[in-house]
Amino acid sequence: MLVDLPGGWNPLLGRLAWSQIPYDNPILAPLFVAVVLGGIAIVALITYYGKWGYLWKEWLTTVDHKKLGVMYIIIGLVMLFRGFVDGMMIRTQQAWAVGPDSSGVFGALHGYLTPFHYGQVYTAHGLIMILLAATPLLVGFMNIIVPIQIGARDMAYPYLNALGLWITAAGAALIMASLFIGNFAHNGWFGYAPIFEIQYSPGVGVDYWMWTLQLLALGTTLGGINLLVTIIKMRAPGMTWFRLPIFVWASLSANIIALTSFPALQVALGLVAADRYLGAHFFTAGLGGNLMLYTNLFWIWGHPEVYFVILPAFGMMSEIFPVFSEKPLFGYITMVLASFAIAGVSWLVWLHHFFTMGAGPDVNSFFSVATMLVGIPTGVKVFNWAFTMYRGRLTFTAAMLWALGALFLLLIGGLTGMMLAIPAINYMVHNSVFVIAHFHSMLLVIVYAVFGSVIFWFPKVFGFKLDEFWAKTMFWLFTGGTVLVFVPMYMLGFMGMTRRLDYVFNTNWHPYLLVMEGGIVVYTLSVFAFFVLLYVSIRDRVKNRVGADAWGTSRSLEWLTHSPVPFYNFAVTPHVNARDEAAWRRANGIAAVQPAKYVDIHMPNNTPVALYIGALTFVLGFALTWRIWWLCLASLVAIIVLMIVRSYRGDPGYIVTAAELERMEREAIARERQVDGSAGEPVVGGAPAVGRPAMAYERSDLPKTSTPPSMGPGAHH
Amino acid sequence: MYMNKVWRLAAPWMALLVGLWSSQADAGIFWIFDPKGVMADTNLKYMIIDVLVMGAIVGITALLVVWFMWRYHKGKNRGSYHPEWSHSNAIEVVVWGIPIVAVGFLAYFAVKGTFELNPYNPTVITKNMTPQSQRVDVDVIATDWQWLFVYPQYHMAVANELVLPVDTPAFFRLTSTSVTSGFFIPQLVGMIDVMPGMRTKNALYTTHVGEYQGICSDYAGAGTSWMTFKTKIVPQAEFTQWVQQVKASPKIMTEASFDRYAEPYINVHHRVAYFSQVPDGLFDHVMMEVMDGKTWPIPPMMTENMVAYMAKQSAEHRD
Ligand code: HEM
Ligand SMILES: [Cu+2]
Repeated sequence: MLVDLPGGWNPLLGRLAWSQIPYDNPILAPLFVAVVLGGIAIVALITYYGKWGYLWKEWLTTVDHKKLGVMYIIIGLVMLFRGFVDGMMIRTQQAWAVGPDSSGVFGALHGYLTPFHYGQVYTAHGLIMILLAATPLLVGFMNIIVPIQIGARDMAYPYLNALGLWITAAGAALIMASLFIGNFAHNGWFGYAPIFEIQYSPGVGVDYWMWTLQLLALGTTLGGINLLVTIIKMRAPGMTWFRLPIFVWASLSANIIALTSFPALQVALGLVAADRYLGAHFFTAGLGGNLMLYTNLFWIWGHPEVYFVILPAFGMMSEIFPVFSEKPLFGYITMVLASFAIAGVSWLVWLHHFFTMGAGPDVNSFFSVATMLVGIPTGVKVFNWAFTMYRGRLTFTAAMLWALGALFLLLIGGLTGMMLAIPAINYMVHNSVFVIAHFHSMLLVIVYAVFGSVIFWFPKVFGFKLDEFWAKTMFWLFTGGTVLVFVPMYMLGFMGMTRRLDYVFNTNWHPYLLVMEGGIVVYTLSVFAFFVLLYVSIRDRVKNRVGADAWGTSRSLEWLTHSPVPFYNFAVTPHVNARDEAAWRRANGIAAVQPAKYVDIHMPNNTPVALYIGALTFVLGFALTWRIWWLCLASLVAIIVLMIVRSYRGDPGYIVTAAELERMEREAIARERQVDGSAGEPVVGGAPAVGRPAMAYERSDLPKTSTPPSMGPGAHH
Repeated sequence: MYMNKVWRLAAPWMALLVGLWSSQADAGIFWIFDPKGVMADTNLKYMIIDVLVMGAIVGITALLVVWFMWRYHKGKNRGSYHPEWSHSNAIEVVVWGIPIVAVGFLAYFAVKGTFELNPYNPTVITKNMTPQSQRVDVDVIATDWQWLFVYPQYHMAVANELVLPVDTPAFFRLTSTSVTSGFFIPQLVGMIDVMPGMRTKNALYTTHVGEYQGICSDYAGAGTSWMTFKTKIVPQAEFTQWVQQVKASPKIMTEASFDRYAEPYINVHHRVAYFSQVPDGLFDHVMMEVMDGKTWPIPPMMTENMVAYMAKQSAEHRD
């Protein structure tokens, strides 16, 4: 060992020991029992209904971008819930542990969480919400929607896509494991240097934090590469750059940010690992280390990351507003420019996260002005949405309500962001709950846009709409929670309340903290409303079936194919004529025209390799955390071997024949006609239909089926 | 109607919020709006400028959106519908122009304010000073989790309480023994990071006698929440008296006793200690030691079980 570790270590289990299982923790132990019982129940149900085969074939080994996207979104929603529970714990502690007379239980002096435990909760909350809720939710939507919007059959690299998902899932699993085995970091989601150094955090918590982040960074980078290549190379004929749906532009700019900034995080964390594992001194206070270097490196990624998550959300809003305003997006070119301006400037502002570091006034001035520049394109976007509604015909569907909520939150977040951007103001509210309120306003823009998108695109993916009544009820409850939690939080910021307090020394703040606790209750009600929404919608799914154009006023290409989208997306690769292709075809009366003839299409095979590698990255992360060296080596070797084997085998794909395709299309059309009569008879010689192979090469000796065969690493052709 | 129900449910909560706000707004608990020193005053001045400019833009935009929502509501036939309208050069110029002008305007104040409040040379304070002006210097050493305020002019130190004479600029040098903490007195001076192995500065000046809350604004580990200190601004005569009082304290601080003092300690009982003597250059000594790799590690049990640690802390008679 190159570093001194308290506690034991042995070659077989590393730092792992029975004492690391918090079976005596009054919060975690019951939770653990509940999780185990829940797990057993799920396994039993799947077995009872004989769904293992289905699960394996349709989901676990799939490379279909829509299913992968759905799984990303499920991970995102589950983690959003976990993060919400963490948030609830934080709020409860602060509402309780106020003043010297407040009581304490479970070994805490005040409230019910010891500072160390409380630190873990908010660290997990932040990390989860940004990297395991917002990011997967957005990546999921980009995965589902971008290929359909550009008329592609799948992503450029379907297998890589699956790999990105399973590595993200591994990251989620690793952070969940920290609940029950060992503990988690208490150094804040961004990591306070040098608290994460071994002298101040001798346990495994920081290691969990670090390797979780590494896995998520890796998964997101892989996804980013894939989306970029897809957008650049896989557009349907006629889909010129300035016909790209705005969500695609948003995804493009976001993923450029991701690809250029995530490496900075990985390097920074690699250096933290060197400190913690090799006894290096990159970020220690002494011996030549520089802790502010870490803070710089982290935010060089961290700030672009916040724009990586907000840009797709802006894209979603830009899709929703026109559809429910029944007119095109105002200032399309401006929107594109604004997205890229935001992306560009986002690399130049990182220092605004630590104006109080004590940099000179020149440095702070530069970053202050650079930060305010971001406000310009952001402001432009808001104006453009407003003018999209101007002269429109607005219907306030649930999706539109969520988008409007996002818009108002963005106004508040922008106002407070512009306050924080000025050092003379920042010195007073940096590290106060005012900052927390600022970025929650902003991150809630994402949450609102995501829920709007869930409602907006749900019918496209599943073929039926979500229940409007419950969607609106959820919206209003959620908004009530938002107001009750974040208005008092802004007030507390002006009262000088700093962030991350596990004991609140000022009793004047108590009433506000109690109102916030009330807000949490309202939020909880909205979570229930969401479950009811899902239940009611699935129960009434037959009644809520939709045709291709679920909203009747849709604009972009994805609304031309069937709902639910078939696995091949478009039977014939569409030829794009206009910026808002669906609206254009509707206006020209050819929305329902079917292709003259079908041609064979080439699709990628399923593969379990991505799942295996994902599982192995979890093992690797776990082994690194607990310093089980043999297991690190074994899992690393296994990953490399699997990658090599898979690379040599390649993926020849398979063919869906024209006849088979025609049969499936007829069925889908018949189904849709029952719903809305929108899809017409196949019209021979209708819209220009251009067949194009989805993959880079074509072969004639491929299996011809309509269900993707699975390709294990050992299978042979 | 659906919306009526929403309003009926929301109204009492909103009333509660407004009630809270108005019942306490004048009680001086909004520290940021109630500055008592030149630095904090200046912070507030810039906040007002910024909020006026941005608030006007944001407010007008919000009203515009609400108005569009009302006017173009489908089926209400209030505004005319232009299904293809999506571009207007005039509007584009305005939507880019307004934010550009606003940011240009605010950028001027941002730079100006940054120099005025530059912690190394806050011109709002220093512009009124001559080399002969009276001043108090304080060396701030943050440990896990206490503050040591060294008064080099008086060769004395005080733990966890800051006392300063009114009408006299005070200049701080700050460093930390272990992790990064933040020095913050909301009504007097904004935050500055206090980092191990490094030295930052800040200053304050006030004409208001009183007692103000000091906070550790950066998360520094388990004891952060209790790492608060009272800041007493006293008349000059009272300050001189207080210095005498500290100088009379039997406790002294040496480099060796500092080593022990800097061990992790959670100041739950708001202990204040006076040290009548302090070696010259303790601040630089601590900084050099930290740069040479000295740390005061946290006992593992402290991070696991606070109550047990508190028992240990009292058993060691450190309370
Ligand atoms: C008009 C645009 C924006 C401006 C001018 C702005 C400005 C700032 C500034 C100056 C800070 C540092 C505050 C401090 O710690 O003292 C900050 C923090 C933050 N902002 Fe923004 N921001 C903007 C938009 C956004 C967006 C779109 C997001 C993402 C959704 C976001 C998320 C965050 C987060 C997460 C933090 C704090 C992270 C932490 O300390 O834990 N901001 N913002
Ligand atoms: Cu930022």
